[in-house]
Amino acid sequence: MPRPEPPPAGTPGPSTDRPVGRRPLALAGEASLRRRLVARDEQALVELIELASPWLLGITQSMLSDPDEAEEVVLEVFASAWERIGSLGDEHDALLPWLLRIARNRAIDRLRRRRRWRLKLARAEAYGALPPDRVRASEVDEAAHPGWHVHESVHAALESLPAEQREAVRLAYFQGLTHSEIARQLAIPMGTVKTRLRLAVDKLRIALAPIKDWVV
Amino acid sequence: MTTHDWYAENRAAYVTRSLEPGEERTFRDHLVRCGECAREVERLERELGWLPMGVAPVAPPPGFARRMATKVLDRPSHWRRWLPLAAAAGITLVAAGMAISARDQGRELRALLSSRESRLAALEDTLSVLRRANMVLQTQISMDGHRGGMLIFQDAVSHRWCVIVHGLPPAPSGSVYQFWFITETGMVRSVEVNADMQRPAFMTLPMPGVAAPVMGAALTMESVVNRSNEPKGVELAHVVF
Repeated sequence: MPRPEPPPAGTPGPSTDRPVGRRPLALAGEASLRRRLVARDEQALVELIELASPWLLGITQSMLSDPDEAEEVVLEVFASAWERIGSLGDEHDALLPWLLRIARNRAIDRLRRRRRWRLKLARAEAYGALPPDRVRASEVDEAAHPGWHVHESVHAALESLPAEQREAVRLAYFQGLTHSEIARQLAIPMGTVKTRLRLAVDKLRIALAPIKDWVV
Repeated sequence: MTTHDWYAENRAAYVTRSLEPGEERTFRDHLVRCGECAREVERLERELGWLPMGVAPVAPPPGFARRMATKVLDRPSHWRRWLPLAAAAGITLVAAGMAISARDQGRELRALLSSRESRLAALEDTLSVLRRANMVLQTQISMDGHRGGMLIFQDAVSHRWCVIVHGLPPAPSGSVYQFWFITETGMVRSVEVNADMQRPAFMTLPMPGVAAPVMGAALTMESVVNRSNEPKGVELAHVVF
């Protein structure tokens, strides 16, 4: 899987010193954006789309392998968010994870509606590594991707999993396969699939807990 | 092991959406009724909320945000589309609520209804395992002059078993009836069975979380002090597919 080169030695990590041009969008910043969205501020909608689109397109394109369909899903996500922003809970319900959850669920719904399991399995086989990463090192511009440090943290959490657990997460979470499909794909008992996923989720819950915000 | 244990064990699977479609529907229906599971699922979703950002971003084409915003704003409002129906439903609900609250026993009735609904849901879930069973195993058991038996219904959709043990007297003091899964690599301890001559014991069990395939099941009489992962007591029943 192509990955961006690690930062040069001596470069501060994203959690301690963010590069110039990035500022935190958390709590106060997000609360302000959310208030404007609730107030039907159309410029706030544009800002939300600018902030979230790269990540929503990332997850939907990787799952659907179809840029046009991914864009349709992203449109549905923003339309849904625009309708339901007022129903979003307290500050614990961060805006971007909410959008990502809607996007992933919609993408899985579409995958299952297609009923093209063979195609899906073949596609899952084609991706050798986790998670599917379309960005080559030379293309990565951290400043152009708000939230890049979150991506790095999540990726590190995934990479820290044992290979067999990471594979189970890749197939379940990022490819939308069910327990039985994963068992068939990996030729292992379904109980083993469930165990691997359960262990992986327990580890990821701990590893992702420190992530409280993202940056713009 | 109760039916609710299956839901508790599969919360993460529901959040990751790795349950089979039928299981997912069953779980979703359960969330409507179970506050505990709803809260736990919400917490899990929050804890895993950033996980999709493990996928690298994709740069949108120029003008994407403005184009997308225009499409969103041009879409007819879902809420407004359903406003007349929602209003009618709201009026009906309010009227029904007022009628119920007017009764002196309204609160008790609602509590009773809620309790009955929970029991009905549990029964429906158990029944679904029985109705979907693609294999049924039966064996007779003799115990202290009593003739009982054990039935196993295997549900290939939810990958659970409904196990019914009937006609056995209560276990002697210091002993328990112990149910085991038989796998290719050995026995796996499952649940203790509360036998009762008056009515059968029903158990809905998920498959054990081990790599080896399940080949059958056994029922033994174990000392309460045996907490090991292998049977040491008298084997009362042994069935293999």
